[in-house]
Amino acid sequence: MKLRKLFTPESVELNLSSESKDEVLKELIQLLGLDEKSEAILFKTLKRRENLGSTGIGKGIAIPHCRSLVVNELRLAYGRKPEGMDFQAIDDEPVHNLFLIVAPPLEVSNQYLPVLGKIAQFAKDPEIPAKLEEIQKPEEFLALLEERAP
Amino acid sequence: MNSSTSPPDTMHPQLMLLMELQDLRSQYRELEQDEGAAPVEEEHFHIDPAEAREQLQAKVSELEERLDPQVRARYERISPQRDRVVVPVINGVCYGCFVSIATATVGDQDVHQELQSCENCGSFIYVVS
Repeated sequence: MKLRKLFTPESVELNLSSESKDEVLKELIQLLGLDEKSEAILFKTLKRRENLGSTGIGKGIAIPHCRSLVVNELRLAYGRKPEGMDFQAIDDEPVHNLFLIVAPPLEVSNQYLPVLGKIAQFAKDPEIPAKLEEIQKPEEFLALLEERAP
Repeated sequence: MNSSTSPPDTMHPQLMLLMELQDLRSQYRELEQDEGAAPVEEEHFHIDPAEAREQLQAKVSELEERLDPQVRARYERISPQRDRVVVPVINGVCYGCFVSIATATVGDQDVHQELQSCENCGSFIYVVS
């Protein structure tokens, strides 16, 4: 599965405005276009996952993720916080790039874990943070995925 | 989205609670499996799966205490038999047993104001819009 196919321009926000971890999670959730009650449940589930340990994997990247009943297919969103924010990342550095991954409890195609691993690999490529920083439009983010995560 | 985390008033509070429980149980189950999330969580996120399962179980127990007695009785009846106590209904089909649900049950705009279950398999249902 190509990562590019799991994102749309609408699921990409290059200037996240929130300042706190909770608010940025909510802003990312909004990119999925769910209804209000689903957003509230998903927020709680993501928070509980964060309570197990931050999904800030270092080098300015965070990958909040969970399975939740509120989606019926794998959903992804990307948000960028150019000035960085505290996400209690494992290297204690500010987070600039956030990839949200939400999967239904059961998937026929079992894409969730492979996609989670693929996003983590993509984000750990040492050249990626600088490339993400240069992006001006959501379409450029999609093109970067096409190029670097074929 | 509201900045508050309180449940939207259009959903039955017990359904909200059951869905939270279901999501926690999904996380727990996946961390139990060697080929599930455990290796990914360990490698990329430095999570100790055993410790994480312990935390999740504590939260599950805490939430179970908040279920109304009748709901909890049904929950406890269903949960040993099925991985999922709450199942999504997608396009009118219960994803617990893959049987169509009566339109009268799921067609209402305010379907989540009541706690409903599948007449065939007994699972609590959540209609995915």
